[in-house]
Amino acid sequence: MKVAFVVQRYGLEISGGAELHCRWVTEHMKKYWDVQVLTTRAFDYITWKDHYPKGDDIVNGVPVKRFSVTKPRNPERFGRLQNHILANEHRLEDELKWLDEEGPLSPSLIRYIQEHKGDFDYFIFFSYRYYHSYWGINTVPEKSILVPTAEKDPIVHLRIFKELFRKPQAFVYNSVEEREMINRVSKNEHILGKVVGVGTEVPSKVFVEEFRKKYDIGRDYLIYLGRIDENKGCVELFDFFLRFKEEADSDIKLVLVGSTLLKIPSHPDIRYLGFLSEEDKFSALAGSLALVMPSFYESLSMVTLEAWAQRKPVLANARCDVLKGQCLRSNAGLFYKGQDEFTESLKVLLSSPKLRDAMGKNGERYFNANYTWEVIENKYLSIVDQLEKRKK
Amino acid sequence: MKSSVKESLMDEDKKGEKTSEEERDIIIDYENIDVADIMDQIKKKIAARPKKEPELPPVESNYVPYSVPPPEIPPESSGGRTKIKALLLKIMKPFSPLIRLLVLPVSHELAETVKTLDLTNKKLDYLTEKLHHDLFQLNESLNKRIEVIDKAANKRIDLAFDDIGRIKEYTKLLHSLSHNVVVEMTKLKIEEENLKIRSRILEKDFEFLGQREKALEDRVLK
Repeated sequence: MKVAFVVQRYGLEISGGAELHCRWVTEHMKKYWDVQVLTTRAFDYITWKDHYPKGDDIVNGVPVKRFSVTKPRNPERFGRLQNHILANEHRLEDELKWLDEEGPLSPSLIRYIQEHKGDFDYFIFFSYRYYHSYWGINTVPEKSILVPTAEKDPIVHLRIFKELFRKPQAFVYNSVEEREMINRVSKNEHILGKVVGVGTEVPSKVFVEEFRKKYDIGRDYLIYLGRIDENKGCVELFDFFLRFKEEADSDIKLVLVGSTLLKIPSHPDIRYLGFLSEEDKFSALAGSLALVMPSFYESLSMVTLEAWAQRKPVLANARCDVLKGQCLRSNAGLFYKGQDEFTESLKVLLSSPKLRDAMGKNGERYFNANYTWEVIENKYLSIVDQLEKRKK
Repeated sequence: MKSSVKESLMDEDKKGEKTSEEERDIIIDYENIDVADIMDQIKKKIAARPKKEPELPPVESNYVPYSVPPPEIPPESSGGRTKIKALLLKIMKPFSPLIRLLVLPVSHELAETVKTLDLTNKKLDYLTEKLHHDLFQLNESLNKRIEVIDKAANKRIDLAFDDIGRIKEYTKLLHSLSHNVVVEMTKLKIEEENLKIRSRILEKDFEFLGQREKALEDRVLK
């Protein structure tokens, strides 16, 4: 079976959510299918400017075909257009114009799909909101599978997507909440859709004591992993954490790992470690009391899954439906909406090692049942299997 | 069975865990954790808290509201006493010259004593005045010294505040410096990772080209 994975960017250097998701799935599915990645030459997700050489490439044993972006995105013009269509009455043409502006504008990629659709059994598109998915699915709806990676974002309500969500043969959702949202928007319950997500690999060995010594960190700390950004809820996290410290008599510290776009408050109980190697990152996570996930919008939080894989409970932002839903389904995390709930939930978590342990075990169970690569691969295989049966 | 594993956080406290008064009403079934139930309990606890009222300005202890009437003064009951006093004076009036004669100071010794007493009084007045003068002078000099010490202390406090301000700024600079160092280290680390990946890709390409070269050589030689 020949399957094409179509994604906006592809490469080992690209660590963006949907792109990494696509790469991991492709690399795992290549043992079952004859896979081919179709993508653009872009590296920068703001402008989509051509970066990689045109043509064929092999990345980790996966054949990749890259197509040129004819017009890089102008972020300012795109921002203006997006604000206009979100705030005003507009026509379908305006939405299509917005889609062209958003990019990555690569008509040659779509032309390739059109010309070679007979060569492939299925096209799996990643990220619903980009040019390649919209025009790609419209070109080969009969062979399309969509991995929407949709967040709770006003863009999802645009008319073009309402129609788009009714066209693929199957959906691979990241979470129950994502499926509900897309069903609500487009009434596409009749289309085959499975909640799959993505697997993650956790090292079998971590070096907690070495990590503590290396960074001079004590035992009691909460950890945040990821980009330190206002959009990820970090400003609110700093505020809530510092107020918690004022109110509660606790020695807990907050350790931040990742690249930052913010000025981190100068406080003895907030430690910023910067970008860490995978080994140090997992050791930091394993040594923590819990992971804190303050993000408002997540399609699927890989870090949360990694925490559960390491038996760590999670304290998540309840305003993110996906995180809240995962905490409730796994019984492996508490959540907060506002300062009071943050303080109380954290107090409950910190005051009971027994609770943290029980939640950590629940998290590990949830991870093993839903997010190991074996489970993910089987879900992809079963979707394609069901589509094949339908053909007969 | 279930009740045996259902514990409140108070039980944890007994085992040596540090638990505040507030957490004691959260009941958790550790063998069957139910996050929805825990969150409900947390929400109920927050809702049950008394809402903080705005603080009123403190009322002084000697404050007396205007509406409180002044304490009543009991009426005097001395009418009978004055009447008796007036009656006695009336009876003794005919004997008043005799009483005055008995009371008059006729003794010489008495006159001398009065003089001594007068002199003593004058001396006492002089000494009192002198004491007042000395005290005044002492007070003056003390005030001057206090003023000097006060000025010196204020100057030192100002200098100390200046130092604290400088240290504060220095700490801020250090924080921002360390922050920037971490950011730069992060960028370098990412760059290093990218370069590593790139070198790996190049190695693979090189390997692939080597294989291709061999294959081509084989074909050419055949």
